[in-house]
Amino acid sequence: MFERFTKDARAVVIGAIEHAERAGEERVDEPHVLLALLDREGSRAAFALAALGLTGQREAVVRDLAEARRRGGLSRADTDALAGLGVDVAEIVSRIEEAHGEGVLAAGRQGGARRSGRRPFTRGAKDLLAMSLRTALAHDDRHIGDEHLLLALTARPGVPAEVLADHGVTHESVERVLWGKGETKAG
Amino acid sequence: MTEATDLAERAGDRDPRIGLRAVSALRRLLEQLEAVQVRSARNQGWSWQEIAAELGVSRQAVHKKYGRQ
Repeated sequence: MFERFTKDARAVVIGAIEHAERAGEERVDEPHVLLALLDREGSRAAFALAALGLTGQREAVVRDLAEARRRGGLSRADTDALAGLGVDVAEIVSRIEEAHGEGVLAAGRQGGARRSGRRPFTRGAKDLLAMSLRTALAHDDRHIGDEHLLLALTARPGVPAEVLADHGVTHESVERVLWGKGETKAG
Repeated sequence: MTEATDLAERAGDRDPRIGLRAVSALRRLLEQLEAVQVRSARNQGWSWQEIAAELGVSRQAVHKKYGRQ
């Protein structure tokens, strides 16, 4: 599949691995892909994000992603669903942090042993890469660019899509600025 | 976006989507909580055997999952 990736898309995948490494996280997940997308300049995804006004909000997006990671990577939709069961995620996070230190849930299963080794992708991140291929096919594009990664990210439920949507970047708005479509749901 | 609001509004009904998402979210939260507690126990000098006994799993299972730290 990777042979179909453009230079920009490959740079995003490599950037995602670097973000995971820098944060000392054991696995490469979808928020790492979003962070890597935010680093791009002069690419199709960078153009879309700039056109949608995200350029000045980069820090806020990074902060929102960090905040979600602190909640154990749960999205707002997740915490709402849990609230329906009577589980108060904010309360759990606050008690755990009180006992074990701030940001302790964000640490996940990291050990430190993998500091230099290859980092595996989470299932969600793998699904995202596969979905970017389908996204490219749906647009009759022969190559997978970073714009397809961005579009796939907005189409998948989870923290990155929620954070992007909070800053005006949705599946529809990305479709509109890149392909001039508004309504298409094709993923 | 609306997914969160949408879900919040429907939390009261019997939509399987809500229930399934809650289960999935709970599972992920559980994994994180387990990691925090195992790390804490190891830092306090607990053996893998002791941790496994509290979690109700085999020593090998805990060690395989967390042993690299």
